[in-house]
Amino acid sequence: MDTQHAVADTAPIEASGDGVESRRDGANKITLAPGDSLEGKLTYNGHLNVQGRAEGEFRITGNFDVANGATVKALIEGANVTIKGDVEGVLTAREKLTLGKSGKWSGDVTVKRLQIDDGASFNGHVRMEGFEQSGG
Amino acid sequence: MTENETSVVMLGPRDRLIGELYIEGNLRVSGTLEGQIEATGDVDVTEAATVKATVAGREVNVSGQVNGAVTASKKLVIGRSGSIVGDVRVPRLIMQDGASLSGNVSMGPKVAAEMAQAAATAETAAPVEVAAVVVQSAADGETAQEKSKPKKR
Repeated sequence: MDTQHAVADTAPIEASGDGVESRRDGANKITLAPGDSLEGKLTYNGHLNVQGRAEGEFRITGNFDVANGATVKALIEGANVTIKGDVEGVLTAREKLTLGKSGKWSGDVTVKRLQIDDGASFNGHVRMEGFEQSGG
Repeated sequence: MTENETSVVMLGPRDRLIGELYIEGNLRVSGTLEGQIEATGDVDVTEAATVKATVAGREVNVSGQVNGAVTASKKLVIGRSGSIVGDVRVPRLIMQDGASLSGNVSMGPKVAAEMAQAAATAETAAPVEVAAVVVQSAADGETAQEKSKPKKR
């Protein structure tokens, strides 16, 4: 919770100049640019957008986006998770996981909704909330 | 690919099949199916269908319910009304929003290479057996009429 506070204070979200879509919902957002890297544990009240490299444990209340070209190895927890890069780990999406056509996922997921686009790669176990395994 | 003649098997909403089905061609299921199905062509599981079987095909489209392992040598599409409970092995997977899946998913170049190899061995096995039959029929004169088809598991 300390990290959350610290980051929240230093996140000027309104800057919509450099290709980052401006969010009018007032939610905080962290963007890791292509050259950036993050290693560790992050609990964050907002959105996280990774274009570089990230490794560790990320629990965020908002959306988690992994851009094309990004590499992530982590335990991930988020509302909507969109993967267009290379991601490995364990994932929980409270709402929806979208695996884009350039996305590569390896690991187990627990999701409410799942969308996989043509061209994407998925390896691992899928568990969907609200979808009971009848039989077996 | 060896034969141009392909069959299309359709199971209507009130039809039911329990057992093992192997077809050289396409399959379209709208009814109930239990057991094991394999098609060399495409398999369509429509919205009305209930399938409790292992499903294998070239291109598999699931809009209904499938309970069992699914293998597609080309690709698998799970439509927004589709659901699969079982393991999935495909080179390409498309899953539309709203679709449900519970199981293990294996895909990518490794699976694609495996399936290409399996297809290649199946195809190289076929001419050898055909040649054997030809030789036999030439020797026996008229009796060897039975077609020995390459058995796939």
